[in-house]
Amino acid sequence: MASQLYNPDPSSLVTRDHVHRSVYTDPAIFDLEMARIFGRSWLYLAHDSELPSPGDYVVRHMGTQAVILTRAKDGVVHAIFNRCAHRGATLCAFDRGQAPNGHQCPYHGWTFNADGSVRFVSQAVNYAEVLDPANSGIPQIRLESYRGFIFGNLDNDAGPLSEFLGHMKSTIDDLVDRSPTGRIEVGAYKLRHYYRANWKMTFENLNDTVHPGFAHAASVVSAKAVANAVGGDNIVPTVGMMMANGKPIQFFQDLDMVTTPGGHSYIGGHMGADYTPNTADAYTAALIAHHGAERAREVLSVDRHLMLLYPSSFWHARYQTVRIIRPVRHDLTEMIGFTFRLIGAPPETHVNAIEYCTGANSAASPVIADDLEIYERLLLGNRTGSQEWIPMSRGLNEDRETTNIFTRTPATSEAFIRNQFASWSAMMART
Amino acid sequence: MTEIEDLIHIEAALLDDRRYHDWLDLFTQDCLYWVPVAAEMVSPRDGPSHFHDDRQVMMVRTHRLANPRAFGAEPAPRTVHIVSGVRIERDNADGIVVASSQIMLEYRNRDRFEDDQRVFGGRVRHRLIRTENGLRIAEKRIDLINAEGAFNAMAAPI
Repeated sequence: MASQLYNPDPSSLVTRDHVHRSVYTDPAIFDLEMARIFGRSWLYLAHDSELPSPGDYVVRHMGTQAVILTRAKDGVVHAIFNRCAHRGATLCAFDRGQAPNGHQCPYHGWTFNADGSVRFVSQAVNYAEVLDPANSGIPQIRLESYRGFIFGNLDNDAGPLSEFLGHMKSTIDDLVDRSPTGRIEVGAYKLRHYYRANWKMTFENLNDTVHPGFAHAASVVSAKAVANAVGGDNIVPTVGMMMANGKPIQFFQDLDMVTTPGGHSYIGGHMGADYTPNTADAYTAALIAHHGAERAREVLSVDRHLMLLYPSSFWHARYQTVRIIRPVRHDLTEMIGFTFRLIGAPPETHVNAIEYCTGANSAASPVIADDLEIYERLLLGNRTGSQEWIPMSRGLNEDRETTNIFTRTPATSEAFIRNQFASWSAMMART
Repeated sequence: MTEIEDLIHIEAALLDDRRYHDWLDLFTQDCLYWVPVAAEMVSPRDGPSHFHDDRQVMMVRTHRLANPRAFGAEPAPRTVHIVSGVRIERDNADGIVVASSQIMLEYRNRDRFEDDQRVFGGRVRHRLIRTENGLRIAEKRIDLINAEGAFNAMAAPI
């Protein structure tokens, strides 16, 4: 670990409108990020519906550390590190499963309850008056939920989840309120991609509305060529989504971007064009039956593109897709996509979410493949040459409104990147 | 059987030769090209997929591969398919389901040494139907052995 050899000073790496390239290229910075950002933030881990019965577990990551979330017999979900308290081997080899009798270590058979307390120690006679099983459990990780979404925090002194989410709760509300029963459940399958570059590059890309016209030009051109060949009225939604990346930049200049304290952001307005299932009427009727006409209209009128919940998740309420970022190394990152089913909505609604997730998170998506290539080029390029500072000044003087809750800017602004780095440097400076 | 086995080999060879127009011509108008994220998936409606293409998306994909500004395919991937164990699994009113084991080696010269070459492999199932133009592919499903894994950018169809 490079951090043994030198201590980077993170407070000198970010200015109001520039960031030092070492935040992407330096493994020591990455180690510090894992401790000070991923070690202190509320990280979205799992949805309630992933653990329907006692004994159900999933393994998720908090930064580079694997944790096990298990539903205990009393129905409470607990999280513990995926590490045996004896010799330190990992307990779970699968990313989900059933462990009604606790998690048993394959090495010497020590077994732990959902909450990390010791259930069984092998050859206990040898430990008489030597080791107290009651004090040999696995530390529990602090969990809090918002509307069924379970978040964890490695910092016991961190403020409550509600404070962390702040105004961004409204996007989670947006997702859940779209259910005609008020209930949602996670889809059965997740979709993963990875790239050989830094985790922050995804955060700085997904609300960047200037890149699609360039980085995704090839798929826009190709989608248009196909639309011409088959007739514009006949195009399938996936092709329509690709064409939407070709909207003129002025369209995005006119849209709003909203940033909030903590590094979070979302873009208002809708990039996906016509991507509504033709069962919309049945869905709307079900929603009205649940919410009443006025509230249903309110729910459907929320028109937000991606919400970036810094530093670890991406939320698309309208397409019921949530993605989690998993930083592996400074130069290796995984993205994991989940869809949610609006219980009580026509099946087409979930198919719609599934198609969005495929288009937005598959490594084979013509759009995502270009993004992944760009991330890797960013890392390679920033290891080169003598220019150490990267500008993040686009739209610096274009803020539209600042309240004590949020700041509103044009959607073409890099305000969301500046906002991320404001949060980054505040967290990184805290020893 | 020879006709069927030939078609499976020809399809792979057209991909390797980057003859995408001819490749698309092997498929029916309402075809499905599918790479699921789990072998137990029954339908692309069960969950997200690596590839879930109808003919239009296949057209976009192959058109894009020929576009010089498709960064994810710059330089274009070079592939070779190894096709083995072709056998008819089923032959009924829905068509002829042909199973094979396939490995695709893919290479993109990005000056990154062994990272530039990848291996994709698994069980492939073609559902073929007889049309007035001859045998056509109605469905190609590829169950990669690492289907649930995370993938880096993929440009070439498998």
